[in-house]
Amino acid sequence: MHATFVIWHKHMTKFFRNREELGGLLIQPILWVAVFGVGMSALVGEAVGSDYLSFMAPGILALTALGGAVGGGMLLLDERLRGIMKEYLVAPIPRLSILLGNAASTVTKALFQALVILLLCAFMGVRPSGGMLGLLGLVVLLTLFTLGFAGIALAVAARSKSIMGYHGMIFLFNLPLLFASNALYPLASVPGWLRVLALANPTTYLIDALRALSFGGTATLPLPLSFGVTILFALAGIALAFGSFRRAVHT
Amino acid sequence: MSDTAIEASGLFKRYGELTALAGLDLCIPSGTIFAMLGPNGAGKTTAISILTTLIQPTAGTARVAGADILRQPEAVRRAIGVTFQEIVLDRDLSGRQVLEVHGRLYRVPRAELRRRIDELVHLVQLEAAIDRLVKTYSGGMQRRLELARGLLTSPQVLFLDEPTQGLDPQNRAAIWDYLRALRGERGLTLLLTTHSMDEAEALADTVGIVDAGRMVAEGAPRALAAGLGADVIRLVGRGNAPALASRLAAIEYVDHVAASPNEQLLDIGVDNGPRRLAEIVALANEHGFAIDEISVARPSLGEVFLKYTGRALRD
Repeated sequence: MHATFVIWHKHMTKFFRNREELGGLLIQPILWVAVFGVGMSALVGEAVGSDYLSFMAPGILALTALGGAVGGGMLLLDERLRGIMKEYLVAPIPRLSILLGNAASTVTKALFQALVILLLCAFMGVRPSGGMLGLLGLVVLLTLFTLGFAGIALAVAARSKSIMGYHGMIFLFNLPLLFASNALYPLASVPGWLRVLALANPTTYLIDALRALSFGGTATLPLPLSFGVTILFALAGIALAFGSFRRAVHT
Repeated sequence: MSDTAIEASGLFKRYGELTALAGLDLCIPSGTIFAMLGPNGAGKTTAISILTTLIQPTAGTARVAGADILRQPEAVRRAIGVTFQEIVLDRDLSGRQVLEVHGRLYRVPRAELRRRIDELVHLVQLEAAIDRLVKTYSGGMQRRLELARGLLTSPQVLFLDEPTQGLDPQNRAAIWDYLRALRGERGLTLLLTTHSMDEAEALADTVGIVDAGRMVAEGAPRALAAGLGADVIRLVGRGNAPALASRLAAIEYVDHVAASPNEQLLDIGVDNGPRRLAEIVALANEHGFAIDEISVARPSLGEVFLKYTGRALRD
């Protein structure tokens, strides 16, 4: 997977050089944690037991992972539309590595953002509760989660004819997914239909597991189940991306 | 290395109703420069896309550097370099980084890569700019960087799609110089596409004239042009061009006549332009053809194009 590494490295080089992208990536978590989290904490604190910031932190991580996935797809689309993709396609590299290189840089950036969030949360008084093991679990789950959604975003990006078209399809990958999960409110306290929707949403499993692993909560769903769903989701996402990419390239 | 760098047989490409290639054949020996000359939309870019394994033909076969494009695409990719019609450089990297990424994708060993980059940067004269971001380069500089990138992996065959499009004459001439210097060196074969007759005449050992997805004529530029007679008298005007054409064709010193009815343009190959001019003009007047413009010239590929396709090739 040498080519995957070369492409990953190229993306990371551009990422660290691009001050706007870097800045945007850092400001988002700050806004979520410091403004929304702290604000809501005061209001909602009693209803959910532990403080709301701890309750919400996994949701923030999921949101930034989603944003990262959308960005990763955007990067592929941009390279396609500007013709940079052609360089990859005439090079003697496996076609899969084009996707994997992109997915890898997307995950790296998401984990980088997650680190910033965790540091911010710690600064606001939310310490990771499960120790190193909990953090390891967090990293693994977040990676898989990001891979899954990156896969879907890449699948859309491989076929989109324009930037507007891409965003038209991808707009769901943001707050709607969060609202249809247990990110902002516990599963037990929502109406039945929303609970069903939430259980069909991979985000719910990620957040439930993260709460148990690192944010002082208890898992309302069995941990192995959450891990299993996330792993399957990651595989499905990558498979989707590969299928879509293959079809787009074989003209 | 095989003697035939590129061979193609019956290449067809259809997109639904549209036929981009309608049976293209090629046989290009190693170490030569082949120019595919034709107007926009003739199928040149489609042909290159197929030969470089970017897209697959609807029908037909081809081998590049001895490898089958359908069954051994990776072997083909290892042996070729490509520059595309649009500039496809990553603008947020420096020129050097662009070359490094390219070399690493092709697994050029690091020390060798550094040496080749230095050599090629010197060849295309980008030493001063090579560590600046590509977005600061002018169009000509970007093209030269692309040329360096195409050569970086020491390909056996280099494909160039409209290599000097949109460049000013100075840059054009510079790139022609580089390309001519490459021919015969390291046995490199060049296939370029162009819609410029000047470019084909300046560079090519062999020219293939492509129109509507087919090769309509092929040969050395001089030979193709010589087949039209020593001089060509070109008439542009209004009137019954076909009638005049058939009248002229009957004259014994007229080598051939090519008429383009839509554009009211006639190319008349004669043995001596200046001497025959007066008579040709008189005949035109007799046959109700009002002349707006006349020129006499040695035949060029433009006239060859008209002869084989019935249309004028505008630069």
